[in-house]
This record gives sequence, C-alpha cells and structure tokens, in this order.
Amino acid sequence: MKYSYLIIAVLFLYACNKNKQKDTFELSYPDYFPTPVYNFENNELTKDKFELGRRLFYDGILSSDNSISCGTCHSQVHGFADHNVNFSTGVNNLKGTRNSPAITNMIWSPSFMWDGGVNHIEVFSVAPITNPVEMNETMENVINKLNASASYRSAFKKAYGTETITDQLMLRALTSYMAMLVPVDSKYDQFRQGKVSLTTQELQGMQLFEQKCASCHTAPLYTNHSYQNNGIDSVFSDLGRGRITLDEADNGKFKVPSLRNVELTYPYMHDGRYWTLEQVLEHYNSGIKHSTTLAPELANGLPMTSDEKKKIIAFLKTLTDYTIISDFKFAPQ
Amino acid sequence: MKTIKLSILALMAAVLTVSTSCNKHKHDDENETGTAQVHFEHVWGMSESAFALNTNLVHPMSGDTMNFTKFKYYVSNLKLKKADGTWWVHPESYFLVDAADAASTTLSLGTLPVGEYTEMEYTLGVDSTRNVSGAQSGALATTNNMFWSWNTGYIMLKAEGTSPQSSTGNFAFHLGGFTGANNVVTTKNVVFGAENLVISKGNTSEVHLKCNPAKLFHADPLSAGTSVMMPGAKAKQMATNFYGSYVFEHVHN
Repeated sequence: MKYSYLIIAVLFLYACNKNKQKDTFELSYPDYFPTPVYNFENNELTKDKFELGRRLFYDGILSSDNSISCGTCHSQVHGFADHNVNFSTGVNNLKGTRNSPAITNMIWSPSFMWDGGVNHIEVFSVAPITNPVEMNETMENVINKLNASASYRSAFKKAYGTETITDQLMLRALTSYMAMLVPVDSKYDQFRQGKVSLTTQELQGMQLFEQKCASCHTAPLYTNHSYQNNGIDSVFSDLGRGRITLDEADNGKFKVPSLRNVELTYPYMHDGRYWTLEQVLEHYNSGIKHSTTLAPELANGLPMTSDEKKKIIAFLKTLTDYTIISDFKFAPQ
Repeated sequence: MKTIKLSILALMAAVLTVSTSCNKHKHDDENETGTAQVHFEHVWGMSESAFALNTNLVHPMSGDTMNFTKFKYYVSNLKLKKADGTWWVHPESYFLVDAADAASTTLSLGTLPVGEYTEMEYTLGVDSTRNVSGAQSGALATTNNMFWSWNTGYIMLKAEGTSPQSSTGNFAFHLGGFTGANNVVTTKNVVFGAENLVISKGNTSEVHLKCNPAKLFHADPLSAGTSVMMPGAKAKQMATNFYGSYVFEHVHN
C-alpha cells in the first residue's frame, strides 16, 4: 500500500552553508489529511520557535502566581487534555465550568474553545492566561516577567531575532509548539497506510461508526468542526455556541470534538459528565434529551445493541496514538 | 481676432511655462515631504464643555452624573486624498486614543509627500481583517487590554467610571463587534472644503476633529443598564450614536 507524507517544511536552508541544516524542521502528516487552516504565514516554523514555545508551554510564568502552566491542564500522557478530571484547577484552587479539551490537530481547527469563541490559533492562549479561574494573569505582566528574564530574552533573540519580547512573539512561539501536536501514528493511521490490519471487531466497529457517528465525527480528524446540540441537556445552564453568536438557534450547541486519542481524554462532553465511552454511547442509544436546537440526526437517538457498542469502542481505541504521548520532543525539557 | 490670437499665444506660453515648472516641481516633490497629525478633541454634551477623566459630568439628557475613569477607543486606516484624486494611505495605521494620555489624542501620520490634500478617510474601530488574523502588535497588542480573549475581537471602545445613578455605583461599556448586524466598525470621510490640508516641506500640518462621549448615552440613561461586555445590539446602538458625533473642525497648515 502506498503512503506518502506531505511535508510542510521549513527550512532555513542556505544552500552554501551546511551547518545551517540543523535548523531544518518539519511538520509531517498523512496525505489523507486536509490542508491546514493555519499556514504559518508570518510565523515560519523553526526548531528554535518550537523549543521556545515548548518552554513557555511548560512554564508557570504565564500564570499570576507562577503555579500553573499550559501543560498543567494539557498533559502529554493524556493526549494533551487534563489528567482525567471533569474541571481543571487554576490559580487559587479555582475551577472552571468546562472540561479542558485535547489541544491536538489545532492547525486544522477553524475555531477554538468549546463554543468556538476564539478564531485564531495565535490568540487562543490569551484566553487561559487571562481567565481568573485558569492562569489569572494579565498579558502585560506576562510580557514584563519574560522581558525581565535574560534567558528568555536570549531565547527570543534566537527564535525571532529580537530580545524585545512582545505578546505577539510569545503567542506565535506558543503556536509553533502547539502546531506540532499532531497525532498521526495511531493503529488507525497505520491501517490507512497499509502497515497493519484491524481486527474483525475493529473493522465492524469502523463500519458501525461510519453509519452512526461519522456525519459529525468525520475522518480523518474525526470532527467536522461544526457546533451541535447532542442532546445531553434540554435546559442549558451553559449556552455554548449561543453565548458567542447571541442566536437562540445556537443555544446548547458545542464544538464537535475530535475523537483522536478519545480513549485517553476522558471524561467526556463539555462539562466532563461521562467518564467512560460506554456511558457516551449509551447516551446516544437511550439518553437523548429533546430541545429545539437538538441535532436532527439525533432526533430518534442512535440505537445500538450492546455488541455494536463494544465494536464501536474497539474501533475508537484504534484512534489512540501512543507515539505522541511518549515522544520526548513534546515533554518539558 | 487679433486679441484672441494674442490670448491664445499667451495661453500657450503660459501652459508651456506651467508645464515646465510643473515638471520641475514634480521632480523636486518626489523627495519632498512634510508631516501630518490628526488631533482629537473630546467635548461633553450640547454645551461642548471640556471632557475630562475623574471629573463629575452631568449628562444633558438623562441628568446622570458620570465620572469617567477610563475612556479609550481605536482609530484606524487613515488615508488622505490628494488634489489629483489619488489617495495616500498611511501604512500600518492603528491608533489607540486614551483620554488618560494626552499625547495619544494626537495621531502622528509620519511623513507624506508635500502638496494639497482635499479629503481624509478614517475608521473608528479596528477593521475585520485584523480581528481574524491572529496575534498583532503595536496599538493592537493584547497587552493594551483592548481585546476579548474568550470571544475574539478588539474592544473598540472602553468607557468606564462611577455614577450615583448606577445601580452598582459603576459603569463599564466595552463596545466592539466586526461581523453582521453587530458590526460597529465605521469609516468616516472628511471633505476639508474651504481650507485644504497642505503638506509643505519640513512642516507639520494638522487635522482637528472633535467627538462627544455624551452621545454614548444618547439613547439610554444608566438606569437602562450599566454594563456592556460583548458585541450585540446595545453595543451597536451606543457605538453608532457616538461615532456619529465625530466632526471635522479645521486644519492647521
């Protein structure tokens, strides 16, 4: 079977200077992936930017009391979601009202947050940094703290050619790290690339998934990036997308999450109410609550036998990429 | 007939002279620049008394006493129309006018070619492109606290303060929105008219504009609401009323 990789590359290649080749940096993804939304315009990907972004990602300096980093709630071993808690704990032990999502495949996402309120990967990090129940910091303070650090100034100099650290450069450095969080070595991907076979149960699960789930959880990213009310509530304590658009027709809708690494990212739903995939499938089987904004596909639920549910779950587990969760490149150094 | 012929000759001579001198000027003009500034004056109410922070101001319609602690807004995309009809476009044209910082009420457009300019265009707010293009710098940096993190977009105007007529004692209006019905971004055009803006070598010419923050509360008194924190109908109404108060005063050449 053929497989090939598209390569966005990124190269500070000076033809006559071989030493410079160590700066070469690549972001690889399979050719069955779509074209990314984020194209690195004004922020060409380099190793120095990635490494600076990684350092920022794992540094509590972004929070008001230096206690919480991005990595606190977006943990590599959990597929860059939180450590299996429904709500994350921020500065001053405060908790939010939504579950920390897995921040992978972000360069394909046209919007961010459960309600899609953030429209660009570069400004995404401003939200957790400034949220009082997350990092509780001001952008001004973050930049002042970074500028006070000789070691950060020299890292920015290396990555961006200037020692004057601005929010724009800090946000772009974080983007350079997060952009690389692309899980592409799951059993499913290996199957698509002809390297392994799926079991009969997994293949049957895949077929069932295609029939029942794929209109929203569309391959290869396992989301169509739309907002849907999936029937978990009929009265909305959190308006979701409606909070952003102020359109009643969007009340109770949340972004369809990617199911890549779904085995690792429990609990599920915007408020982390379901702890197992069995509970999630049972919701679609028997628990749909009706309201005017319910996704029409779910009007009659998604009837599944217990055998079918087992098969679908077996398939969902093929979406786990164990390589990315153990790759030292993405860990704090 | 003779007079006419003579006139034609004189005219031709004049045209020749003018065109040579024009050519000469043109040649010199290429390297000749002056500078321009746009100055915003803030006035209050129908009496157009001085608007100032940390001062009790009485709204002429509602009678609300308002003490502003913060008053800031974005101005962007300034352009000047030359007498020949072409536009000079100010590059990277984003300004945050802050009533707490007198220097910020004068926008410096830097250098531009000498000559006569007949019109100016400017935008109140930040154009939609910069609201959807990721991390920005300068006046648009998020460190200016004029950016909604949870619902991406610039806070195009911030008016905060205290009032005994407010149910909470405070008021805070953060106005913005760049799409659909909630789009507040407004482009204004000024025709200088009687006296054009003339940029001359080595000089700084000024355009003076005036606006009236009392207009924010033209539709509703504070009893109708003391806070707006996102785009929507109320933000649109307040911004439209306020942006309508911007008027051209005069130029200083």
